[in-house]
Amino acid sequence: MREETWYKMLIVSTILHLVFLAAFSIPIKKSAKRIDLSSSYSVNLVGDMAGGIPGHGKGMPSGAEELKTPPLQQKTTHEKVTRPPSAKKRQAPVRQETKAVSLSKQKVPPKNDRHQAEGLTKDELSRLDRRISEMQRRTNYLDVTQMRAKAGDGGKGSGAQGYGLPISGQGTGRPLDLVSQKYIFDIWEKIKEAWGLPGSYSSKKNLESIVTIKIRKDGRIIDINFEKRSGNRLYDESILRAIRSIDPLPPVPPSFNSDTVELGFRFMPGDVS
Amino acid sequence: MLYSAGPVAKAVVLILLIFSILSWTIILFKFKQYGKTEKDGDRFLRTIREVGSFKKLTTVYRGNPDNAFYRLVIASYKEITSMKTENPGLTKEGIARIENVLKITISEETERLERRLSFLATTANTAPFIGLFGTVWGIMDSFREIGLRGTTSLAVVAPGISEALIATAIGLATAIPAVLAYNYFLGRLKGILAKMENASIYILNTIDR
Repeated sequence: MREETWYKMLIVSTILHLVFLAAFSIPIKKSAKRIDLSSSYSVNLVGDMAGGIPGHGKGMPSGAEELKTPPLQQKTTHEKVTRPPSAKKRQAPVRQETKAVSLSKQKVPPKNDRHQAEGLTKDELSRLDRRISEMQRRTNYLDVTQMRAKAGDGGKGSGAQGYGLPISGQGTGRPLDLVSQKYIFDIWEKIKEAWGLPGSYSSKKNLESIVTIKIRKDGRIIDINFEKRSGNRLYDESILRAIRSIDPLPPVPPSFNSDTVELGFRFMPGDVS
Repeated sequence: MLYSAGPVAKAVVLILLIFSILSWTIILFKFKQYGKTEKDGDRFLRTIREVGSFKKLTTVYRGNPDNAFYRLVIASYKEITSMKTENPGLTKEGIARIENVLKITISEETERLERRLSFLATTANTAPFIGLFGTVWGIMDSFREIGLRGTTSLAVVAPGISEALIATAIGLATAIPAVLAYNYFLGRLKGILAKMENASIYILNTIDR
């Protein structure tokens, strides 16, 4: 046999290997895509850190990235209970130091009496107005308060209330007191503690999941819902596991004033303790 | 899974991939080479039974010089012609010399057929170990991670170990075809060598006549 056939065989062998490798890598990519598709969830409106949590008071930029999910796709169930179907949501998750996101349900009652009842100062009110108009500029969504007023909804739905971690009054229409803020912050700390990830993930900055958990009055987690999946199954699973492992939580402080509390958190690889 | 693996695992996989490509090159080449040699041998034995004299035999293969069996004929023919110039006629000594020449040619051909087959044996033996090295390294990394994090949760450990095990899997995937091919080719080589021995005896017989 002449030596030139060696080269032929080498090429044939290389091609064989490449085909083999390609055959192995294609189905993996496909399955990853499928996960991506199933994860197109919407994200609720997020409060801004105006008051700040004591001992945690890093201010954050209010200019937040927008998640441009059409509001009609939103799938949170009790939302339908608490608000008229025509009401649309605005979205503005805030990127901040803790990376926790507040997903507030925008339970905006008719503004005036509520605010007065809670004794908000004029200063705060004007700041709220400013922010609302700011957000309206950013989004083309309808003004929720107006919609609500038209629909004549009192805003006193029986279902859950949504809060986010560093919530000030914006969004929910009233600020959270310190006890509630501390409660939420403690939960976030607990989740971070329970959350374990392989070390190689800490370098993957693009992974981001947003999860809402529903907590009963006695502290039991009754629902975990992915608002946004990262697309990485392992990553999402680890978040789920971490949240399940902290169940049950301490009882919800009475300041929340409702049967169930819904909290939203944003998970990024850098949060792992 | 490999994208997130460490540099050692990547290097190991790359080495194994090169081993695999080379061993498959050899497998394909030898397959073709042995197939051709066997066919040549069958044809040679058929023709040598049909052709009566040695002189005729030398003419049959003139058109196709790339043939192990033809080289046997050529070698013995050269020996005969060189002997004829010294002292014509076949003596017992002359026959012995031709026998030796045929033996040398056969061993040359054997070397040619065996060449690079040892690489398959090397691959078969070392590839699992190289893979194992990658795995051990990866598991070491995983354990170090457990130590750093202080958690033994499966979520932290399992991905590292699964990445590490890929190296062994690829090592085995490289070694298994090499082992199979090596043993298969050894068996075929035996058959070809037997045919060559037969051919040399046939050549001696035709020269005797």
